[in-house]
Amino acid sequence: MRFRIAHLVLLVPVAFLLVFFYLPIASVLKLGLWENGFTLSPIISVIGNSYHRRVIAFTIGQALASTLLTLAMGLPGAYIFANYEFPGKRAIKALLTVPFVMPSIMVALGFVILFGRDGIIADLIGHELGIIYTWKAILLAHAFYNFPIVVRMVSALWQRVNPHYEEAAMALGARGWRLFWKVTLPLISPAIFASAMLTFVFCFLSFSIPLILGGYRYATIEVDIFTSVMTLLDFRTGAALAIIQISLSGLFMYLYLKSLEAYSKREEQKLVRKTRRLTLRDFLGLKGAGMAFYILIILLFIVAPLLAVLYDSLVFNGHLSLENYRRVFSTAYNPMFGTSTLGAIRNSLLFGVATVVFSTLVALPIAYVLNRWDFKGKRVLDVLAMLPLASSPITIGLAYVRFFHSTPLYYTFWIVAIAHVIIAYPFVLRAISTSLGKIKKNLFEAALSLGAKEFTAFLKVELPLALGGLVVGAIFAFAMSIAELGATYMLATPEYTTMTIAVYKFIGARQFGSASALSVLLMLVSALSFMMIEHIGEEVW
Amino acid sequence: MSVELRGIEKCWEDFCLRISNLKVRDGELLTILGPSGCGKTTTLRIIAGFERPDSGEVLFGDRAVNELPPYERGIGIVFQDYALFPHMTVFRNVAFGLEMRKLPKAEIEKRVREALELVGLEGFENRYPEQLSGGQQQRVALARALVVEPKVLLLDEPLSNLDAKIRERLRSEIGRIQRELGITTLYVTHDQEEAMAISDRIAVMNVGTIEQVGKPLELYYRPKTKFVATFLGTGNILELEAKDGRACLGELCFDVEEEGTVRLFFRPENVFLKPGGTAELLDVELLPGRVRLRLNLGGTTITAERFINELFFDPEKPPSKVGLEVKSYALLPSPL
Repeated sequence: MRFRIAHLVLLVPVAFLLVFFYLPIASVLKLGLWENGFTLSPIISVIGNSYHRRVIAFTIGQALASTLLTLAMGLPGAYIFANYEFPGKRAIKALLTVPFVMPSIMVALGFVILFGRDGIIADLIGHELGIIYTWKAILLAHAFYNFPIVVRMVSALWQRVNPHYEEAAMALGARGWRLFWKVTLPLISPAIFASAMLTFVFCFLSFSIPLILGGYRYATIEVDIFTSVMTLLDFRTGAALAIIQISLSGLFMYLYLKSLEAYSKREEQKLVRKTRRLTLRDFLGLKGAGMAFYILIILLFIVAPLLAVLYDSLVFNGHLSLENYRRVFSTAYNPMFGTSTLGAIRNSLLFGVATVVFSTLVALPIAYVLNRWDFKGKRVLDVLAMLPLASSPITIGLAYVRFFHSTPLYYTFWIVAIAHVIIAYPFVLRAISTSLGKIKKNLFEAALSLGAKEFTAFLKVELPLALGGLVVGAIFAFAMSIAELGATYMLATPEYTTMTIAVYKFIGARQFGSASALSVLLMLVSALSFMMIEHIGEEVW
Repeated sequence: MSVELRGIEKCWEDFCLRISNLKVRDGELLTILGPSGCGKTTTLRIIAGFERPDSGEVLFGDRAVNELPPYERGIGIVFQDYALFPHMTVFRNVAFGLEMRKLPKAEIEKRVREALELVGLEGFENRYPEQLSGGQQQRVALARALVVEPKVLLLDEPLSNLDAKIRERLRSEIGRIQRELGITTLYVTHDQEEAMAISDRIAVMNVGTIEQVGKPLELYYRPKTKFVATFLGTGNILELEAKDGRACLGELCFDVEEEGTVRLFFRPENVFLKPGGTAELLDVELLPGRVRLRLNLGGTTITAERFINELFFDPEKPPSKVGLEVKSYALLPSPL
């Protein structure tokens, strides 16, 4: 009997994934691999082309370099956060969420305003640093984006390392670097590896940052697909690139998930690691001075792009003014993107809400079934459900253009909303799964034994307990939808222009004031949602 | 109402549970006692309806309940970790089953109050489970299971997460409540002391099968298998050759009906000591009020336990040899 219910519960989300992910992706695979029969020629011609070959090499190379830079920036922070207590620690920890909160288009904008030809730094020192529109800017922006992940994941595990291990090693004579190298490092390495893999995947699939900071010269595969399709209208090359990208990102994503398993397997530690309180005297020593310097640098690094955008939004024609904001809230039709800026704000909010509702409706049944029921093919479902994670927004955009262009869905609000759902849903699934996994299974059985039917037991006992995960997932979905640029750009008709598209077009038109003002609003919205995550997360976990 | 298992079989890849017949009589407290992994919790879950047997029948009274889901079986269950709903207060936890039965509000309030009174937790209605001690949580779980007036009460290691002191107190309280309500109860535990103290009857389980069912003292002094004998406590097992109705180890002789190799079993407290004899006293271990003695008789080690004030010698200056007498013993199945 359970089996029939399982199938029914799964029917809607599975059908949704089939129609809005697997079939469109299949159309991309067909375009890239099929021409009167199976063929590899589009892929071979892409690889044979020196430009595309360079793009692929650059994509992997920059991801690797970005990851190393991110680790270099993040690991000292992880050490400090796990081992020391100092005034302002909480505030700095809160500041670390800033990069998460900033949509990547805004990071790119901040870098342009800081390092650009007419940028703040060029103004201050009289000449450019030669960073903007080079790979250096991309690496820096990626490090900005991802180093908080390293700090968070690694310090979280570091704090849970049982101090008895280190004490035992010390009693046996290990100390200093030897102690770290032989004992501590192996214990925290799952976190280092997992955070590095996650950073690598993000950088590999990065779009807005290389699009704006790299130009054609430093394009990633994601940007290359975008320009192949949108500028050159060469769908076959786009499909071939997408297939190459999916194969690689699938592999990287698999490695990430594997490393995450090792990370979360490390036993929960009840012993609280003693953190040492830093005093002013500590900063006189070499190590203390180093730590102070590090904290100063990362603070500067975090707030600089943010302040740059904020400052730029408040300057109009060289004077402090709110004119940029007045313009952003204008209801006047803007011919550059086909609606008013206020209309773009409204669109972003509507897409956000739709994404929240539908990604939750798709993710909840799948998460529940995967967590609670045992059946044949469960592992297959698990993989199929997470596979959208290995695709990218641009690939989804391309797939939708190919698959839906002659359906009534095309040119509607919903095609964009559904693309957002597919992009956001794996994260929602993970958030819900995590909180469902924490609910003890026998609560459900206890409810059954007390006379509750299965659905009542779910509704009264499990759902309220999973609420935290549901809300976290919902806010994730909202923030991702609101920050999304690539797929939206490919699919939205002018009347459905979003805030990110408007920012992108303002940057293209070099109207940085308007771009900045709109970015600040964009960030406020996603900052609010992330603050809610933290708040609810603390209450629930 | 009685509960009966008939021809139950449930197999996993590497383990099978097989119960040809087990009956919990109406109003009785029957304990399934066994080491972890022996299948005792699975047996309880089959009765609750959480697990489906591959074959066999579960009867409540005369009625087969195999096809009934847990919520229609009229059971109350207490889990090892209590499984209290963390997002509900004590009151809402206990009221849950009554709400499921759609009773009027006033009735629910009255019965919750009575149930909390029964377990001695009046005044805790508005606390959340995490604000309670382990023992209090256990009482709430018991009240929650009992308030719906189940026909069958199932207790799955209900005390094993508690400190020794609270465990003993709650043990006798569960026994008192069970007798007071006269409710048919299946109690699952791995703790032989707990089983001895609380049960009307005990079923000892080992690797998926029930080895012996009986009253506590019957199992303790008259075990039918070696496993039952050793699981319930320490004891002496002697393998002897029987001839003409007697089996002897040195001067120590037993009356037996069988011929050939027999296996005899007796508890240490059934070994009595007397002056003069050939049993070599190997060592004397002091316990509070008692001594445990290891003796060697004809190459076999025998353990005896006596109260100190019964000894005919000073335990700090024991004699090197003593005489033995075994007053009660059981015959185990002979080794093959």
